Amino acid sequence: MAVKKDYKDQTLAERLRDRKYYVPDSNPEFVKEVEKIGQTPAHMCFQCGTCTGSCPSAPRSTYRIRLFMRKINLGLEEEILTDPDLWLCTTCYSCTDRCPRDLAPTDAIMAMRNLAARRDIVPRNFLKTAQAIYASGHGVPNNDANRAARVKLGLDAEPDTTHKYPEYLEGIRKIMDHYGLKERADKILAEEG
Amino acid sequence: MAEVKKYEEPRIGVFVCHCGTNIAGSIDIKAVMEYASTLPNVVIADDYQYMCSTPGQNKIGEAIEEQKLTGVVVAACSPRLHEPTFRAATKEGGLNPFRFEMANIREQNSWVHMHQPEEATDKAKDAVRIAVAKASLLEDLIPKSVPVERAAMVVGGGVGGMQAALDLASAGIKTYLVEKEPSIGGKMSQLDKTFPTLDCSQCILTPKMVDVYRHENIELLTYTEVEAVEGYIGNFDVTLRKKARGVMTPDEATERGIIGGGCNGCGDCEDVCPVIRPNPFELGMSPMKAIYIYHAQVSPLIYTIDFDSCVKCGLCVDVCGDKKAIELDAQDTFETVKVGTIVLATGYDIFPVEEKHEWGYKNYDNVITSLEFERLICASGPTGGHLIRPSDGATPKKVGFVLCAGSRDNTGVGKPYCSRFCCMYSLKHAHQIIEKIPGAVPYIFYMDIRSFGKMYEEFYYRIQDEGAKFIRGRVANIQEDPVTKNLHINTEDTLLGRPIDVEVDMVVLAAAVQPAAETEATRRLFGVSCSQDGWLLEAHPKLNPCGTTTAGVYLAGVCQGPKDIPDTVAQAEGAASAASIPIHRGEVELEPYFAVCIEDICAGCGMCINLCPYQALALVEKDGRTVMQVTEAKCKGCGTCGGFCPGGAIRMQHFTTPQIVAQIDAFLLGGEQ
Repeated sequence: MAVKKDYKDQTLAERLRDRKYYVPDSNPEFVKEVEKIGQTPAHMCFQCGTCTGSCPSAPRSTYRIRLFMRKINLGLEEEILTDPDLWLCTTCYSCTDRCPRDLAPTDAIMAMRNLAARRDIVPRNFLKTAQAIYASGHGVPNNDANRAARVKLGLDAEPDTTHKYPEYLEGIRKIMDHYGLKERADKILAEEG
Repeated sequence: MAEVKKYEEPRIGVFVCHCGTNIAGSIDIKAVMEYASTLPNVVIADDYQYMCSTPGQNKIGEAIEEQKLTGVVVAACSPRLHEPTFRAATKEGGLNPFRFEMANIREQNSWVHMHQPEEATDKAKDAVRIAVAKASLLEDLIPKSVPVERAAMVVGGGVGGMQAALDLASAGIKTYLVEKEPSIGGKMSQLDKTFPTLDCSQCILTPKMVDVYRHENIELLTYTEVEAVEGYIGNFDVTLRKKARGVMTPDEATERGIIGGGCNGCGDCEDVCPVIRPNPFELGMSPMKAIYIYHAQVSPLIYTIDFDSCVKCGLCVDVCGDKKAIELDAQDTFETVKVGTIVLATGYDIFPVEEKHEWGYKNYDNVITSLEFERLICASGPTGGHLIRPSDGATPKKVGFVLCAGSRDNTGVGKPYCSRFCCMYSLKHAHQIIEKIPGAVPYIFYMDIRSFGKMYEEFYYRIQDEGAKFIRGRVANIQEDPVTKNLHINTEDTLLGRPIDVEVDMVVLAAAVQPAAETEATRRLFGVSCSQDGWLLEAHPKLNPCGTTTAGVYLAGVCQGPKDIPDTVAQAEGAASAASIPIHRGEVELEPYFAVCIEDICAGCGMCINLCPYQALALVEKDGRTVMQVTEAKCKGCGTCGGFCPGGAIRMQHFTTPQIVAQIDAFLLGGEQ
């Protein structure tokens, strides 16, 4: 177990926190959960680094898909689910295409986002997107600039989606309500204030 | 004796090799060639991209014919590589092959002076000048053929030695298999299962042991050591010490007139023996009597008395009864056998891993070695195959496997090399605990997983899928919990980038391997070299991995360097094949580099006789005078006698005093006469 020391200064306490990995601090079942949701055998990762090397997000951020795969196998559940980097995957699937052990790291990430969401850990931008879809059927709804561009190109101002056929919005909302997505987004955003 | 040609004036041809850019990249070939043509006695200087190629060799033959050469100099690579090639080319051209001299301007020049072209070119000129000086004085020499004894010896009865012996014997050659232990089988007989097929080690080994025991061409000499070796390829006289076993085989009993007697392996003697000591086959983890066999499948099934612990109470003699197999006053006996070729298969030992204090072996109860693990997990082992913690006999659930325990270690305590099979057997161990102990978790601490062999990477994949936990990081230290006797393994998870502490019930150290204790003494007896780390040295690491620099002596198995069972068996078959060639040919040619006594000058003082390390010299009476005589086949041409002879009466063929003096003069005088 990590050794806890009582520092009065909380900044100092954080800086000097025992970061050693102790097996009892981890959750050995975590990898199984991720595999069940993600439907990919994450325990077979042999840490070659092809994933991080393929990742378009990695050069521009601190997102390291290989490190997430390692942490899954070490059962570092808390650390992963509270890590903002978890949400930096663009789901381009380059890592999945190239993984020599034929794993789907992207799907493991998606699985862990699901697990994080169960604990209401979701970044604002993702929640706002959920609200936008509920309101318009689009994550990025149409706007005037877009409409003008479309008309200039000889297209209808509105695309053949819920924008043109708002009667189908009801169906989308039904699906989202089934999973309580909008309700949860509203709740989390309200709590955050 | 073939005709010896007489030449009046030396006529030397010099050929400079580019070796692609290996030599030409730093040495000015044209300058060397032009310089060579100015040297005394040189009648032609030429160059070629690759002198060893067919057109290159043809140049030599053509020049010999056209220029009536008396000597050939090739400036190229090491004579160890291409001297035989160019000797053959010289012979092809019609000259005696020993009228060839090589100047090494590659290994000893262009490769080491890659960035100093001017100095390298000057040095190449020196080398060529020296070679020309010697070539001018070379003489025709006739190699001597000697018959080869139609028998072979294999030293070491592990899986490598057994395979070599079986192959030699099956090729129709009488083979002596010498093993220092009472039974053949070696390390492989101590293993439980083998990777990656998970074959039971004993199950695949014992049929071979039986084949060896039964083979009509194999004379199995267990509990026997090599005492002395004399002779040379084709004619080795090997003196063997047959250690006092104290128990007669049925054949030995019959020889003594005890018909129907001798040891039948019944084991009655073991039951009555009062002396109990640790069993080395079980690494001291189970008891053994003073009269013993190591395990049930020994071959030959003959008991042995350990006279260091035997109290000579005589109970065994009484219980043996009419078989009269036991002789308490047995003494070591000696036997000399003559063989044509020899295969060394002396194997390995486990590195004493307690010398790496940080892992606590022999200090913490629950830290064991992999070989101990093999015995503990083996159904015929001391615990009947139940893996237990030495501290309390409990079944471990979490087991840490420490790879590179003493391997890849340049501290001087461990071994700098990779021991090559530890990764794979540790994967196998992980599989075994998952299979045998429900809920067991193996933690494998590794730097790299070297799963290089056929189906090995697939095995690694399988074991990871079975649930083994892999932690990339060399174990820094192990600490014992004094109460629970559990162990905390500390390292960095280098893939996580953080220190890590894993508490386990038991630690298995994949200890490095080192040459067997007797290897050093054995190799000296056979005149075989070793590398810095003690492994026996092959003649060439790539092109002659089974041979040694001593003609007629070959290597098989781990004694040449760490290797797993498939590689050991493959090398053993290679060594057996190589060792059978001279025997099947029936005779070998010896290089004519022997000493020759100039009888007119020899004073018969005999000073040289005792100096000779090979017992090749003797004094004889000739025409009323005492002179020295050389047994050419025994002489290795070392030059000890020639250098010492006070009267200068000993000529070292191919290294005569005038030839060596000419070389020295050519160097010191820089070509001036």
